[in-house]
Amino acid sequence: MKRIKSKEPYFMLAPSFLLLCIFLVYPLLSSFLYAFQSYKLTAPNDIAFNGINNFKAVFQDSNFGLILKNSFIWVVLTVAGQFILGFILALALRRPFPGRNFYQAIVFLPWAISSFVVGLTFRWLLNAEYGPVNDLLLKLGIIENKIYFLSDPKLALYTVILTMTWYGIPFFAIMLLAAMQSIPEDLYEAADIDGAGIWSKFWHITFSYIKQTIILTLLLRTIWVFASADLIYIMTAGGPANSSSILSSYMFMKAYSTLDYGQASAIGLFFMALLILFCYLFMKATKFEKAGNF
Amino acid sequence: MIRNRRAFITILRVCILIFYLLMVLLPFYWLFITSVKPRMDILTTDIQYWPKNFTFDNYKVLWSSSNFDVFLKNSVLVSIGTGLFTTCFAILGGYAMARYTFKAKTMAVYGLLLTQMIPGVLVMIPTAILFSKVGLMNHLGGLIIIYIVGNIPFCLILMRSFFDRIPVDLEEAALIDGCSKLGALIRIVLPIMLPGIVATFVFAFIGAWNELLCAIMFISSDEFKTIPVGLSMFVQNYDVNWGVMTAGAVMALVPSLIMFAIVQRFVVEGLSDGAVKG
Repeated sequence: MKRIKSKEPYFMLAPSFLLLCIFLVYPLLSSFLYAFQSYKLTAPNDIAFNGINNFKAVFQDSNFGLILKNSFIWVVLTVAGQFILGFILALALRRPFPGRNFYQAIVFLPWAISSFVVGLTFRWLLNAEYGPVNDLLLKLGIIENKIYFLSDPKLALYTVILTMTWYGIPFFAIMLLAAMQSIPEDLYEAADIDGAGIWSKFWHITFSYIKQTIILTLLLRTIWVFASADLIYIMTAGGPANSSSILSSYMFMKAYSTLDYGQASAIGLFFMALLILFCYLFMKATKFEKAGNF
Repeated sequence: MIRNRRAFITILRVCILIFYLLMVLLPFYWLFITSVKPRMDILTTDIQYWPKNFTFDNYKVLWSSSNFDVFLKNSVLVSIGTGLFTTCFAILGGYAMARYTFKAKTMAVYGLLLTQMIPGVLVMIPTAILFSKVGLMNHLGGLIIIYIVGNIPFCLILMRSFFDRIPVDLEEAALIDGCSKLGALIRIVLPIMLPGIVATFVFAFIGAWNELLCAIMFISSDEFKTIPVGLSMFVQNYDVNWGVMTAGAVMALVPSLIMFAIVQRFVVEGLSDGAVKG
């Protein structure tokens, strides 16, 4: 029964692909249509083709440059922070120690929690009047004036980035730890016999063995982080004055608050074009195709 | 010399582990003690790091004067539904991908990868319009479908690599012993893959349990709201009663916390059994 040719696999894949086609591909195609229509839920009878007006309106929005810049800062800092810290955690967890399972259950916990709880907790922690972070910093004499983490336009974006980083460390830690645990131990033993140093063991064994996992998780995570809007929605709703808006949260607000589906779709298409371009370049740069039959 | 270096690394490791532990625990500690403080002690600039007047009033208010029990029921239904369906579809699809060669295989793999690049927020609007046409708007079934769609690509890829790790010989032996193909799959292969299956289920369950934006978009009536939506409405409606809010947040944590504590080992085990190796 080794790799038989038959029609069976098509039937087995049918449920998944049918769902994907109806509820992902079809909506995607229709969003192409909406992006070129004036489609406001507040005026459901005035749906009409309006060419590239939605795109014009979006690109000419005085905040658009800021939002684009924010999106870039958001993705780069968040993914880098999550990856580096997650990697360090995975390294620290690689060798067994008493109580490791218990420890893992606790430090991986943020992964299992809703963005709502995370956003709420950090909003409270960082609250300028009643939050403990400001209080502690003041008492320890580290700062002289309260820091308005979420209401200062200069800080809001970075505060949410910090929160998102905290939230995403476990994902990388889990994935990288799992990959590290599949490294055969005799590779390290052989390296010890050859007198390899820590750094060279890390580089030539650990890093190179889990390289494919690193590439895959970085790719997926970048896409997910770029497209995530919920933490921003909960913590700042993009404010103050759009200072913490990114493309995805901006689009959600357009669709949810102003109910302008046409413009929201236009933002979405632009957004997806960016993602696909990024993925293409990323896969080229990392020789992703050679990563085997993913 | 070498011994010194070993000792140094051990100390470094312990420091890192303690640092992470504190970093993760402190926000939860704060969430919890806020939920057991009376309102007066929460909104005070004289911040209490240890609650002076311990009380469960916030929890009582949460259960008596909000629809929290309804939100909880909806969340459980949606998450279990999503987990079960996603896992079944992923097992089927993953098996097909791992054990058969067929013409459209490469296309299917790239198709799955491509779906990951479609931002969820983009398809949310057309999906909402589609849903309202077929009566899935404001319906738990609609929410389950959306979550399955969101989770399937990753879970299917995950499942496929679990199957790749199991030698085909095992199934062949079972076939020779008179098992049917399906029998071999169910009796021989799936039990070996249990950690992987659990990992997939948990992945989909947690995804559905925590999702907020789709749930906000697709559900409008109180009777179908899930916990994240219910609590987020709380923020807007009640001028943020932090005590009750944090009580709700703690309650929302409990199921995922219990489940996660039990299965996190399976998750790491399942993943290192060959998944995400690229």
